[in-house]
Amino acid sequence: MPWYDTDSWLTAAFAPHPATMAFTLLLVIALPILLHTFIYRKQTPTSLPGFVLLGPSGAGKTAFVTLAERSAVAQTHTSTSPLAIDAILPDTIVPTSAHYRSPGDPAYERARRLLLQDTPGHGKLRHFAAAQLANPINVRGIIFVVDAAAVADEAGLNEAAEYLHDVLLALQKRYTGAKTSKGPKEIPVLIAANKLDLFTALPPHLVKISLERAISEVRKSKAKGLKDSGVAMGGEDDGLDEEREWLGEGGDGPFEFRQMEEVGTTVTVKGGNVIGGDAADVQSWWEWIAEHL
Amino acid sequence: MLDTFEILTTSGVVLWSRTYVPVGANIINSLIRDVFIEERIIPHSEEAGAKPTYRKEAYTLKWTAAKDLGLIFVAVYQSLVHLTWIDKLLDNVRALFTGLYGEQLKKEHTSVVDCSKFTPYFERQIQELEGTSDSAPSVKLTPPSSSNGESAEESAPALPALQKAQRPLYDTSADSTPVPTPDTSRPNTPGQGQGPTHLLTGKSRPGGGKLSRRDRKKASAVTSAPASSGDEASVKRKAKGSAKKNRIWGEYGAEEEDSSTILDYSQTDIQDGTSQPEALEEIKQETWGRKTGKGQFVLKDLDEEMDQIIAAENAKKESATASGGIVGSSLGALGGLFRNVVGGKTLTKEDLVKPLKGMEEHLLKKNVAQEAVVRLCESVERDLIGLKTGNFTTIESTLRTSMEKALTKILTPTSSLDLLREIQTVNASGRPYVLSIVGVNGVGKSTNLSKIAFFLLQNHHRVLIAAADTFRSGAVEQLGVHVRNLKELSKREGGEVDLFQKGYGKDAANIAQDAVVYASKNDFNVVLIDTAGRRHNDARLMSSLEKFGKLANPDKILMVGEALVGSDSVAQARNFNNSFGPGRGLDGFVISKCDTVGDMVGTLVSMVHATGIPVVFLGVGQHYADLRGLNVGSVCRLLMS
Repeated sequence: MPWYDTDSWLTAAFAPHPATMAFTLLLVIALPILLHTFIYRKQTPTSLPGFVLLGPSGAGKTAFVTLAERSAVAQTHTSTSPLAIDAILPDTIVPTSAHYRSPGDPAYERARRLLLQDTPGHGKLRHFAAAQLANPINVRGIIFVVDAAAVADEAGLNEAAEYLHDVLLALQKRYTGAKTSKGPKEIPVLIAANKLDLFTALPPHLVKISLERAISEVRKSKAKGLKDSGVAMGGEDDGLDEEREWLGEGGDGPFEFRQMEEVGTTVTVKGGNVIGGDAADVQSWWEWIAEHL
Repeated sequence: MLDTFEILTTSGVVLWSRTYVPVGANIINSLIRDVFIEERIIPHSEEAGAKPTYRKEAYTLKWTAAKDLGLIFVAVYQSLVHLTWIDKLLDNVRALFTGLYGEQLKKEHTSVVDCSKFTPYFERQIQELEGTSDSAPSVKLTPPSSSNGESAEESAPALPALQKAQRPLYDTSADSTPVPTPDTSRPNTPGQGQGPTHLLTGKSRPGGGKLSRRDRKKASAVTSAPASSGDEASVKRKAKGSAKKNRIWGEYGAEEEDSSTILDYSQTDIQDGTSQPEALEEIKQETWGRKTGKGQFVLKDLDEEMDQIIAAENAKKESATASGGIVGSSLGALGGLFRNVVGGKTLTKEDLVKPLKGMEEHLLKKNVAQEAVVRLCESVERDLIGLKTGNFTTIESTLRTSMEKALTKILTPTSSLDLLREIQTVNASGRPYVLSIVGVNGVGKSTNLSKIAFFLLQNHHRVLIAAADTFRSGAVEQLGVHVRNLKELSKREGGEVDLFQKGYGKDAANIAQDAVVYASKNDFNVVLIDTAGRRHNDARLMSSLEKFGKLANPDKILMVGEALVGSDSVAQARNFNNSFGPGRGLDGFVISKCDTVGDMVGTLVSMVHATGIPVVFLGVGQHYADLRGLNVGSVCRLLMS
């Protein structure tokens, strides 16, 4: 039976047949529902915007993570493995991207969620952080936590500065080594001066100044220091020795965080305390996160 | 008495803790740092199932880990106290916790585990274990539940049959089968279901503050733990009726803050008018408790449930090992082979034996000392057992990446090794920076010293080289030649170098001391001290190093080791590290002659393994400029190639 016959299936499909009408009706009602469920199922596990927590051991990274998750600080010890948690911005803070959304909007809730990634800060375990920096997937910002009280003395300052130097250098390399002319997505850095409740803690602007000074020192001694063993030992390092990179404006003069803006990294210093005398005060950090969400 | 018990994740979050006496957080932090990260203290082989211990300040720490869930269980107690049941407690708590919260722990992107209800379980465990070890001397009938504790040997040698009956329940070792019946569990706790016994023990004990609390706790546990079956319950009720008042009075009398948590569970039996809020909580418990039939005798069920969970966990462990051993035939083997290629295989010890052997040989070929190889392989094995291989990765490649990680970890220095900055900070305090070099004969001490001098001269330092090798003829003249060359080389650079020498036969330590004084007078800011080479296993020669270290008091002591040396490197590094007396050790290694060994750079690993001290410099050639810092990545590549 050819398709152009009067009683073929095609004719029936276009005729006002009750079965046809029923089928069409069903399709009209069911399709949006199916589409909705399908799309929303697919949409929900999209990766959340991530923020990576870096910083020397004992600065308060894990404590901040627990604070973000359960709005109360849990007791913590030295981390030996990374941790990622889902966090939601506190109610008082509205992310920049959701400024014009009404609170009833379901997208509003979603815009407030983020992924906080904690990394161990011990010198031997920084490869977790290095891996994150080498290949940042959906990382919106880096929070570098420092102990504002430990920065006050030489050893603590040096450790923090050296780590921060490496982090910033990795970010700069990522920018200068980009293949496209547009450059990779910017990753801002927040230097979170923690433990401001302590008596010996330096205020944020002093933390900034002393870190800048210490990073200049690190850079200077790196320039004067010995070469790496890579080439000499027959390792096939591809000219790593020849073109070393210097942080900020070719490595001349005193280092300032401002110089990092050139390579797509804005550095902000904000103070706070995770474990408080009266209460935890991390409002300014949340504001920064909301700004970059 | 136990001070603190903590359950924490590897990511550092404390999930649950019980504190009897507050212990500083730094105690556990240093445990994590020394044992888990830097691996300075290698846990002893677990003979007889004894848990590894770690001592810090006045505390002893014992721990166990659940690797697959990333949990660490730590018990802290005073070193003065000898607690035999800690091992048992750790095992039981691990089994309980993983059994109860395993599912919650596997969730991603969260660190919250709701384990507020774990406290009663823990309290019961403590009571049980403490009770058994306490009452063992007074009540001869109750054998201690610990099957391998010392108290078991002392107090109950006459009851082998009973002991045997006890063993399966708590034994976590794989060679016995657990019997998860409640019948065996009941007589385990002393005095439970035996009212008079507990009264006797209570009386016989000399009165003391701590003991009385314990007694009360035990009393409460006993009286509120009737059996669920009817006939027993009637008997219990009677006993409880008399004991009930006792406990309540005790509670009001001495306001113990932690005893109330246990008492909650018995509140419904007492049917007090005041137990309204507790009753609410009780209902929650009921819905949650799996074994609870009536919701009434929760404490007793807690006991049973606890035993069941422990037994189940043990059974699981056993079945895992059994299936690995027995079902190694046909289908299992085929599946294993397939999995090996495709990935997604859960690694067992048997799987790892062969690849580890291969890895061991590979590392030995690279001149890594046997001892270091064994340790690396052990740590990798510990890491990998129970792990699932990723998609399309073989065991070998998984092992490789894991070994690379272990090598990186062992070689990465903990602190900064920036010599120039250190010199700066020391000079800022107004004294010269003193660096001395030690080592075996003929490894290149003087050569490396002059290389370091050259490096410092390039950075415009004023360097004084002290010839403290007063033994070997020609040593001073050799340094003189180096100094002449360096003077020539550094003339234009702006650095200044001089030799400090007092000829032969004098005491090296005194010369070093004089050199430091001379340097501070003449405005030198770095002093490099060369010492005589000495055989590391000659106690007479090594003993003079202690005096040297005290008199010269160097800021940094570097040991030169040659890359050519084989397994002797471990002994060299260890002996030199220990020769400076207590509180002083080496600060770093210089590995010389790296250019002569090609990719067999295993000595680096051996030396760092032996002492945990980082490699600061590598000597890579004959020229003054052939001194390099260590690039961990490239060394790892060389070792794994």
